[in-house]
Amino acid sequence: MNKLRIYPKKLFWRIYWVVLALSLILDFIWLYLHAFHYHFQFQYLPQFFAILGLIGCMLLILIAKALGIIIVVDEDYYQEKSRRSN
Amino acid sequence: MISWIHPGLVIGIGGLLIPFIPWRRLKQTYFLLLPLAGLTILVSTSSGIFGAIPSGPAEALHKWNVPFLQYTLDIVRINKLSMLFGYVYVIAAFCMNIYALRAKSDWEHVVAMIYVGSALGAVFAGDFFTLFFCLEIMSWAPFFLILFRGTKKGKAAAIRYIVWHHFSGVCILAGILMHANQTGSIAFVHMPWGWGGEYLGYNLMLLGFIVNAATAPFHSWLPDTYSEASPSGSVYMTAYTTKTAVFCLIVTFSGVPLLMWMGVISAMFSVFMAVLENDGRRLLSYHIVSQVGYMVAGVGIGTNMALNGAAAHAFCHIIYKALLYMGVGCPLLVVGTAKFNELGGLYKYMPFSFWLTMIGGFSISAFPLFSGFVSKTMTIEAAELIHKPLVYLLLETASIGTFLHTGLKLPWNVWLQGKEEPPAEIKAKLKDSALNSPLNMLIAMGILAFLCIFLGVFPKILYAMLPYPVEFVPYTLTRVFSLTQMFIFTFLAFWLLRKLVVGHATHTLDTDWFVRMPGKVFMQFCQGPLIAFGAFLDQKIIKISGSFIASIRSPNIEVRLTPMAIGFGVFMSLVLFTVFLVLKI
Repeated sequence: MNKLRIYPKKLFWRIYWVVLALSLILDFIWLYLHAFHYHFQFQYLPQFFAILGLIGCMLLILIAKALGIIIVVDEDYYQEKSRRSN
Repeated sequence: MISWIHPGLVIGIGGLLIPFIPWRRLKQTYFLLLPLAGLTILVSTSSGIFGAIPSGPAEALHKWNVPFLQYTLDIVRINKLSMLFGYVYVIAAFCMNIYALRAKSDWEHVVAMIYVGSALGAVFAGDFFTLFFCLEIMSWAPFFLILFRGTKKGKAAAIRYIVWHHFSGVCILAGILMHANQTGSIAFVHMPWGWGGEYLGYNLMLLGFIVNAATAPFHSWLPDTYSEASPSGSVYMTAYTTKTAVFCLIVTFSGVPLLMWMGVISAMFSVFMAVLENDGRRLLSYHIVSQVGYMVAGVGIGTNMALNGAAAHAFCHIIYKALLYMGVGCPLLVVGTAKFNELGGLYKYMPFSFWLTMIGGFSISAFPLFSGFVSKTMTIEAAELIHKPLVYLLLETASIGTFLHTGLKLPWNVWLQGKEEPPAEIKAKLKDSALNSPLNMLIAMGILAFLCIFLGVFPKILYAMLPYPVEFVPYTLTRVFSLTQMFIFTFLAFWLLRKLVVGHATHTLDTDWFVRMPGKVFMQFCQGPLIAFGAFLDQKIIKISGSFIASIRSPNIEVRLTPMAIGFGVFMSLVLFTVFLVLKI
């Protein structure tokens, strides 16, 4: 129970790629069979959620990083200000 | 016969006895029994021992009506919504107590129990005065929880915390008084809302609740202060303040469109902020803001389904967020830091806390079969049903961000980072074992993780407790598939850009800059120019009075003005002034 262990890296990647490929194929099949019931037209685009996940996540990181140029400061930003005044 | 036993009083007042119990084991048992006593009361209330709870959202069981001034306090109002919150409050408190068993100070336990008790008092309150009283106690308890960590930074954060909560408290009080003045009623029920001057009181009340609920742009107190509390203290704070505010919003301001947009913006904005975060607990704090954003958006949408979604999400959120905070609390307690740039490679030494945290991460991201899925999708579906594609898209993107941070970035940076060993100085603090986290912490996390999966697999139990009847079916092929696919590709994006989300020793400015910077400038003004001006005035006055005294004391004047003579003069002039006032009136 309390032995040191290393995380199951290889197993994870194998499962991951299989599931990814499966999701791409299943999306086409179920879309073709009209198995999905969405509320908006754009959700019916093929691989919409794959693209949303991929692009959305990348944009999120990149936009935040760009914002970071302005709002990321030193760790003791607020403290340092008061020290300077003393 | 006793009409009802208030679980809040049992827990809050019962908590006061903790420091006086002699044996350690007995003390710990008593500490764990308190929330269980609360749970027993709630279960017996549900079973109808104290009277049947009406099923409609508008009716309620009223107890403990006490006359107060010209009003009647409705101290206890039991309906399905308050029972839902009551249940999750005591269940969470039980797990948090297990987690906090080894806290150094007994007074931390006392404060935590008062906090839980007052939160229960707030959700069972039927009038505004009782509500306000409980909210005020609630705003003080975390102040002490932050102070108990004993750091200098914590002290400053505690003061900032209480300042924010005084602000919101004063807003709520002003709203309550204006409402009571206008209508003569103090019932804690749905309030009208609008933009005109006659709605000023309601807007103030709304502002107070919004600050308490940490909705953007008034959210910054939350990441600022929660990250400074002690590891076990911060776990309590994640659950009660914001969720009680959501409860208040559900009762008073459901269906206010402004809330929908504020909620959506809040959900999205804090996800951006979390990208830049380096501290594990600050990252999780931003995700409280984000998840509460979903609830606030649900309240704003205001349909029965959306309100159900908000309430259900509050329920699930308390459980998985406590789990996540506990997960980060483990390294924080054992190696003394939760900063990403100082951690990584902990998996070998703390695998159990890693997997339990992952369950929390899957739950918050709304993975199928985890608790977030059955509640978050309800709010998102409500947004779809009122045909708001923008609201829908923003909420969906926010859940991508949630998975990115809590499901991927946080565990990756704390436990993995592709390293097999942690940095040397961290490793020195670890035992050569996979059980570095204290067992009581793992047990608490285990119970919460079980609940996360249980609620995800059997959502009907949760749905039966919701205030409105539920027709929503969470597990449809469409929803399960679309969300799963989205998360699979979120992981891919994370993996490609993982170098960008590693931690750096930085601080991210938030909206509190607009409050803190003027504050700093004001303080600098006080310390610099104002003090100089004061000293200048002092000098001048001393000089003038000195020359005055010198002239009086000069031998030219025969009568000397002794202190007694001056005192007599002042006394006489006061007497004359009083006589003048008496005659005038």
